[in-house]
Amino acid sequence: MNRFSALVKREVKTSQKDLFTYGLVIVLLLFVSETLRSVYARYAGVSFPAESYNEMFPSFLLLGGFIMSSLIFSEDMFGKDTQHDWLMLPATNLEKFLSKALLMIVAYPIVLIVLFFLTSVVTEPIQLIIFGNPMAMFNPFRNGNFGFLLAQYWVWTSVFLLGGTYFRKAHFIKTVLAIGIISLALGALGLLFARIVFAIRFGSSLQVFDAMFYLSPVNLNRALSPLKVFSVISKIFYYVVLPIFCLVTAYFRVEEVQATDAV
Amino acid sequence: MEQAMQENALAVQDGQEVVVHMQDIGFSYTENRLFNHLDLEIRRGNIYGLLGKNGAGKTTLLKILSGQLFIEEGETKVLGENPQKRSPSLLSEIFYLPEEFPLPKMKASEYLAMRSPFYPRFDHGMFAQYCREFDIDLNQRLDQMSLGQKKKVLLSFGLASNTALLILDEPTNGLDIPSKKQFRQTVASAMTEQRTFIISTHQVRDMENLIDPIIILHDGKVIFNDTVESVNEKYVLTLTTEQPKADEVMYTEKVLGGWMVLSERTDDSEGKPLDLETLFNVIIEQSKGSAGGVR
Repeated sequence: MNRFSALVKREVKTSQKDLFTYGLVIVLLLFVSETLRSVYARYAGVSFPAESYNEMFPSFLLLGGFIMSSLIFSEDMFGKDTQHDWLMLPATNLEKFLSKALLMIVAYPIVLIVLFFLTSVVTEPIQLIIFGNPMAMFNPFRNGNFGFLLAQYWVWTSVFLLGGTYFRKAHFIKTVLAIGIISLALGALGLLFARIVFAIRFGSSLQVFDAMFYLSPVNLNRALSPLKVFSVISKIFYYVVLPIFCLVTAYFRVEEVQATDAV
Repeated sequence: MEQAMQENALAVQDGQEVVVHMQDIGFSYTENRLFNHLDLEIRRGNIYGLLGKNGAGKTTLLKILSGQLFIEEGETKVLGENPQKRSPSLLSEIFYLPEEFPLPKMKASEYLAMRSPFYPRFDHGMFAQYCREFDIDLNQRLDQMSLGQKKKVLLSFGLASNTALLILDEPTNGLDIPSKKQFRQTVASAMTEQRTFIISTHQVRDMENLIDPIIILHDGKVIFNDTVESVNEKYVLTLTTEQPKADEVMYTEKVLGGWMVLSERTDDSEGKPLDLETLFNVIIEQSKGSAGGVR
């Protein structure tokens, strides 16, 4: 446990300057955004808009998180000069992997929520005093889809962590491209699957889109009810199997990395 | 446990524990084989010097030993473990100082606090002492230090970590002349029977009187792994003004004022001991088994 906490400390310590800069950018963006909204509302005579924290939170959580996940293994696994330091650290490959993965999957969302909240604690009283903007602290639970957002983050962060360990350079771009290609392939497969299912259910002469067009929603629901099991399976696959598969594969990449991978 | 005891029992030969055992090693970066059936044994309590021409594979060998590269054929055991597994127990017994390295943007003291928990026998008092000897300011930022200063910090860290195996790749590159002397003194004073140093270098004059035994890597194999003393017992180096006949000597080299001649030692032989540079040249020339003044 001491070794694991030492690894986590090392992760934070070695990138503290970048993390501080990133945090500062978030704080400034939120402050400027809130101020501009308040100025507009105050002098345009319109009602004060809802606070912007909930609007910006998903962007920083998802986009920021995915970029950071793509880059978190970059220097340690593929930096020609920096690689040896990480490889020679007396810790297991699993500990090395988990110290980075848990930082991204667990610590990043928590820190981001705290940062947004603290920014709102500082910003909102200022807006109230200067512009009379009613105070509205950041509350992620106010938005009903917070759980859904975190679930999406969990799934896609694992994908980007795999991309970060799989690709030696341009991790983020290559992961996005790979996701695009795999999505197209899976989409085509899904279409083929749907075509086959509809053919079995309605007869081979009926086209999928014809079925959608002619059936009423009630009938469509009734017709598709046997397929609900596939919906459950697909959810399990998407929220459980896919992320775990990506994380396990990423771990094996960490285990097999060599100095030659940094060439 | 029993298996480990058996391995340890096997690892002791001639009273010295074998810390590195490499057998029939095959390794390549490209189609050309870098190591082919390479065998190597390193025993505890010595400061080994690893010599070889440019591209002979010295750094590659060190990276294989430290688990940074995986072999394609053969077997490697370091301190009784397979380095490819990179187990924490093995890694906490190895300190590797690479030839070139960046250090994080922080103070030396912060680096110490960040890295020392990974080494269970790390001695903070010794680290402070080595830093004093090397004249290192712990409050200076690592990214503002010269290469030589960074090497001194890492070397101090490595020595204070009390690991069983220290691997130093070109440690004197970037060190000024007083620091080279300090390096030799510090390494010699830090040497114990429980430790083993492997020092890869081109700067053999910097390492004179420090490294022994010598390992010479050439053409993908270890062609020499012995002490300088054993060579000096058999051969003698003399300076002559006349060019010797090639079939009467082991090795000749034209030097200022005459010829340096290596010949078999006899009872009445008088000459100077073999220096590392000459030893290296002799071994390399002999491995060719042909021209170049070698019989």
